[in-house]
Amino acid sequence: MNMGTDLAYNFVFKVVLIGESGVGKSNLLSRFTKNEFNHDSRTTIGVEFSTRSIQVDSITIKAQIWDTAGLERYRAITSAYYRGAVGALLVYDITKHLTYENVERWLKELYDHADPHIVVMLVGNKSDLGNVRTVPTEEAKVFAEAKGLLFMETSALESTNVESAFLEVLTAIHKKVASKEVTRGSISAVTLGQTLGPSSEFKEERRSCCNSS
Amino acid sequence: MPGGCEAQISVKSPSVCQNTLYSCLGQKQVSLSRLGLMFSMSKLQSGNGVQWKDSRSQRGTVESLAEHESSSLGSDPELNGVTNTEIQTDKYGFIGGAQQSAGENADIPPDVLRQREAKWLDMLNSWDKWMAKKHKKVKLRCQKGIPPSLRGRAWLYLSGGKVKKEQNQGKFQELDSQPGDPKWLDVIEKDLHRQFPFHEMFVARGGHGQQDLFRVLKAYTLHRPEEGYCQAQAPIAAVLLMHMPAEDAFWGLVQICEKYLPGYYSAGLEAIQLDGEILFALLKRVSPVAHRHLKKYKIDPILYMTEWFMCAFSRTLPWVSVLRVWDMFFCEGVKIIFRVGLVLLKCMLGSQEKLKACQGQYETMELLRSIEPQYMQEAFLVQEVIELAVSERDIEKEHLSQLRRWKETHGELHCKSPPRMHGAKAIMAAEPPSRQDLKQNPTIIVEVPQTTESKTEKGKKTKKIKDTKNTSPPPNPYLLPSDPPLPSDNLSPSESQHLQKDTPLQGSNQSLSSADHDTYL
Repeated sequence: MNMGTDLAYNFVFKVVLIGESGVGKSNLLSRFTKNEFNHDSRTTIGVEFSTRSIQVDSITIKAQIWDTAGLERYRAITSAYYRGAVGALLVYDITKHLTYENVERWLKELYDHADPHIVVMLVGNKSDLGNVRTVPTEEAKVFAEAKGLLFMETSALESTNVESAFLEVLTAIHKKVASKEVTRGSISAVTLGQTLGPSSEFKEERRSCCNSS
Repeated sequence: MPGGCEAQISVKSPSVCQNTLYSCLGQKQVSLSRLGLMFSMSKLQSGNGVQWKDSRSQRGTVESLAEHESSSLGSDPELNGVTNTEIQTDKYGFIGGAQQSAGENADIPPDVLRQREAKWLDMLNSWDKWMAKKHKKVKLRCQKGIPPSLRGRAWLYLSGGKVKKEQNQGKFQELDSQPGDPKWLDVIEKDLHRQFPFHEMFVARGGHGQQDLFRVLKAYTLHRPEEGYCQAQAPIAAVLLMHMPAEDAFWGLVQICEKYLPGYYSAGLEAIQLDGEILFALLKRVSPVAHRHLKKYKIDPILYMTEWFMCAFSRTLPWVSVLRVWDMFFCEGVKIIFRVGLVLLKCMLGSQEKLKACQGQYETMELLRSIEPQYMQEAFLVQEVIELAVSERDIEKEHLSQLRRWKETHGELHCKSPPRMHGAKAIMAAEPPSRQDLKQNPTIIVEVPQTTESKTEKGKKTKKIKDTKNTSPPPNPYLLPSDPPLPSDNLSPSESQHLQKDTPLQGSNQSLSSADHDTYL
């Protein structure tokens, strides 16, 4: 499995993981980028990140996934975190209804700080704990549709739907970028060697060698 | 309870990961049947981490204490039921993970250690005098490294936590007994198994380490309800707990949150953001190359210094370096934290050669996330920190200038924290203690029948067993539930009852010497 080795890639998409503390963001990150899961992964303080390259319609996309602390007060420091993000996975825990109830607040935070064209997926994690579910799938699905969000339920523990979730988001981003639905400059797709920031323009580049490190 | 500890372990998917408890167990060739573990590789069990039931094996404590006196399993009873020949802890208590020591650091020769201990005991005995008149010496000794046996105690004295504790007797117990705000408790509980999961003290879910962590963090939210809980407080509290009992750790945490790093854990996280700007500004002088690079790629300080500063590097450095940094931090204050940050940035980004590898924001951040071990190595790092010319004044000056900038862009601070204290001397000056406040209390007192005194050798660390006229042995504080209670000449029935329960050593009020001589655990 191509796990983020620096083969040639066409695009770099920055995707952020957001949601309440303890819903499983860090494990979604590690499951997707390293195929790892840890019950006792450390509390995220500051920023964690990892990358993985995947193929979407014969295009190679390097997904740069960012993860941060979910606790309320950390939202004060997140603007740097959102800068340049083109996708977001808004994660809640299907066994903790409160984490789902707070999704609205997270959406607001997202739209306050991130690019307005950002692709968002609502992710109900811990689907392996279906026997203690408190958020019905249908309800969340309907909510997501109403808000124009993609939707999926995942289990980082069992590896269910994690690939699909990220793949769907990255494909949707690519579609937006490729269709030029968005005018130049207003979606900050990052390519190799470019700085992240609202001023960076969307470009398509072909590189045949990997990162010079 | 059957012999042996029962443990249910849920395992990560069988793929590459070096830094897990389970792969460490694999490498050390654990004899699973001997440990009596139910070990399931194929099926992941949801919701379970490592769970060690509280039962002690028959082998349990008495045997393991006798056989493994130099065992580093220390105070955690959960692992006492398991023979320590299988699970290898390093001398700091790490079973695995990135911060486990590989034995690369030479041990300090015992006679040097004993000398240092004697000096520290002497200092602690007249702490106020030393701090007032010989502070430079105290600082030097902190820079050399506090002897492990006295580290917890020294930290408590340096931070002023000892004084706080004595001036607020019963306070921790009061907070400990209260239920706490469910909103905070919920978040705290989620974090208990996520602090130093590779450390023996915190590996067991519901174990004493996690319990004490809960108590300390909960107590803080009750002590400062307007502050509540911030996640970075957990690793700070955990480090303290590795060195001292819960009540002491609580006061240590209070001092860190209020004196050393005020505002770091408050809502809005303004203080940490400001310190990030200060760090970046100071970097300009320390390493213009690094400074320029970070500026060029618009790498906000918050993107790399948050975990460093909020956890006082406890999650970043090899453990021995963490301890050396904290020794200096408690003495000299936040400038040590700034200096460590500056040294690391300079080392990793300070030359054009090094920058070739990170021409981009992401690449740079990745580099800063995996600092080369040579730069974090104890001797190197400590020396660099001591030599770096960044003073309290530099920090305060930059603080004022950054505060001005902040107000221009963000308006007034939402959270007005008190000014920070730059170390032990400042704290003591602000809150001068009485002699009584500084009196040392032995942590273990064993009542021994009337005896003839035997003199301690001057300056030696004492742990004496006294001669007794009485032929009965000292009461055994480590009775197993199956042992008959000893004739309790020295203990009240409730005390001997207490001793037979599964209590941590700190809870015992038995000491090995008379009250005249200090005894140290």
